[in-house]
Amino acid sequence: MVEMVFITPFVTGLLAFVLPRAFGRQLLVLTGAVHLVLSLLLWKNSPQAWFAEYFAVTPEGLLSLLVISLLFFLIAIYTTGYLAAHRLKSENMFTGFMLLFLSTMTMVTLSDHIMVLWIAIEATTLASAPLIYTHRSGASLEATWKYVLICSVGIAMALVGSLFLTLSMELGGVTAAMSFSTLTPVAVQLDPAWLKAGFIFIVVGYGTKMGLAPMHTWLPDAHSEAPSPASALLSGVLLNCAYLGIFKTNKIMVAAGLSDFSGTILIVFGLLSIVAAATYILKQTEYKRMLAYSSIENMGIIALGTGIGGLGVYGAVICMIHHSLIKSSLFLSSGNILMGYKDRLIANTGQMAKQMPRTFVAFFAGFAGISGFPPFGIFIGELFIIMAAFKSGHYLAAIVFIFSLCVIFAGFARQVMKICFDAPADTGKTAALNFQEPPGLVWPQYILLLTSLILCFFIPDALYQTIVDAVHAIGGGLQ
Amino acid sequence: MILYTVDTLLSLVLLSVLFAFGSSRVPALIKVMAFQGIVVSIIPFFITPDMETGAVIFTIATLVIRGVLIPLSIHVAIRKVAIQRDVAPIVGYHASLFFGLGLIVAAAVISRYLNIPSISDSALLFPAAISLLVTGMFLLMARRNAIAMVIGYIMLENGIYLMGTTLSVRARHIVEFGILLDVLAGVMIMAIILQNIKQTFDDVDTSLLRTLKE
Repeated sequence: MVEMVFITPFVTGLLAFVLPRAFGRQLLVLTGAVHLVLSLLLWKNSPQAWFAEYFAVTPEGLLSLLVISLLFFLIAIYTTGYLAAHRLKSENMFTGFMLLFLSTMTMVTLSDHIMVLWIAIEATTLASAPLIYTHRSGASLEATWKYVLICSVGIAMALVGSLFLTLSMELGGVTAAMSFSTLTPVAVQLDPAWLKAGFIFIVVGYGTKMGLAPMHTWLPDAHSEAPSPASALLSGVLLNCAYLGIFKTNKIMVAAGLSDFSGTILIVFGLLSIVAAATYILKQTEYKRMLAYSSIENMGIIALGTGIGGLGVYGAVICMIHHSLIKSSLFLSSGNILMGYKDRLIANTGQMAKQMPRTFVAFFAGFAGISGFPPFGIFIGELFIIMAAFKSGHYLAAIVFIFSLCVIFAGFARQVMKICFDAPADTGKTAALNFQEPPGLVWPQYILLLTSLILCFFIPDALYQTIVDAVHAIGGGLQ
Repeated sequence: MILYTVDTLLSLVLLSVLFAFGSSRVPALIKVMAFQGIVVSIIPFFITPDMETGAVIFTIATLVIRGVLIPLSIHVAIRKVAIQRDVAPIVGYHASLFFGLGLIVAAAVISRYLNIPSISDSALLFPAAISLLVTGMFLLMARRNAIAMVIGYIMLENGIYLMGTTLSVRARHIVEFGILLDVLAGVMIMAIILQNIKQTFDDVDTSLLRTLKE
């Protein structure tokens, strides 16, 4: 039963390659809907997997799965509109790989075996590489090359880390299966030296994929060159999948009593990412790259929160959910901006409030949300992380964090104001603009933002319980 | 007796590592990589006492993929693009060779200090694995030719596989096979990208890939 959730998009993905172009778009939405229903069923019943050795339903996996499913469904609706407005040479390839990408990411959320998780994360790289190369330009080729090479090498490091975990099992005399759920209860018996080494390699490896600095260099290129629906998926859910790998390994570390060690590493990588994002976001000239750096910032925040522990982990999970919802809406809106102005540079856009009012509402609300304005969830998540940092005595981390947040907000706000209100440098751009903003290209963003907004005021009990269960496993909670 | 065979084979791998550091031509690097792929995949035949059928089938599959399919796909890719065949070093060959020698010595010293029970019977298993891994990394960083970089990635993967064979607690073959398929698919995708780079930029020198930067 559990496996059906990723087998379904895999099969429809293969179908999309051979079916005529007209079916592809419907198939995308249909699979999205089926996937959403299956994920909800999984959440409600939490059944046993057919291959219980390799797959299991865990609270943290379920959270990511629900986010993936909801996002993919809405992005699929947007994609039908996008493909109608934007003719791609190889539409079958695009829809096919979107579905395969969904399948591999779902597999990540459901994997329980350490090596199967690795296989699934590497598979996400392979399934998403063709999406980045969709436009067939020199720049997109360069982005794909960097993405495949840097991520493959990075993930190879995670494989070395996984081997070290095996070694720590061998030295500790542990004969349990190599899965996260069986290793966590016996974690104290694992050899601590190799476990630590394994954790470092895994953080570097999956951290590359997650976009943690200094391994983040592929991320802005890939996110800016991919077509906007694919960027939304990359940023909204792929990064979470890589985080899941780190989260699960951290669970073993905490159970083995090495939470200080793993926490320090995560805090360092988290702060580095936040500071790197703050440095680069100030001088961005392209709006999609700017959004990509904001993703690096948010991944840094999530790593920081996880490293601090306690209330911080809860904040990190809140940030993860809301970042996915808001950032994917921003990337979809950036697709509209690109279709309207036909230009990637911020300098050549402008007066969006007048020219594209509906996209403006989505984009501006998304900006407010991602910068941590109070009605949106990121605010709550960041507040929890700051509180936890002060409580646990990480004063320096908290100060660097708050300062970087201010810098990022200032840089981001300046560019967004330019896009929304200033007159464009090239006045021909506004005259040429006749983008109609069909409802299919704005409503998905509204729904994403609305979901984020509602989740701040009202979290269903079942969802709340899942979050608390996920957080509890690594020593986090609402205290 | 069998262990001597393993160490003899592995000493050849160490020599091939040195060759990879000093080699300036892409076809020669492909041959080195194919040789390493073959040796790395037949090692389990010698160190596992009595193999089950499943293990034999898996080892043969590894041999076919690592020793034949992967080198062949790179070979076909460069045949199609007919590129200039110099690896465009960032670090010169003499310095590279020197680094290679130092690497082998360091790997041998380090693995003596690591307390790993299952590999104590073969003196060269762990040093060879580390050397392959670091050689791959080195080629990735110190060569500008995109093909040499892909070859570096494959050597890195071979090193990791060799490291994996030394462990007694191993994942099941189906899982190992999944890892192998991932690597194969990754190399295929890299080969396709290589061809496209050649078509778009008329060269495979990665210093041409500089349009996207801060």
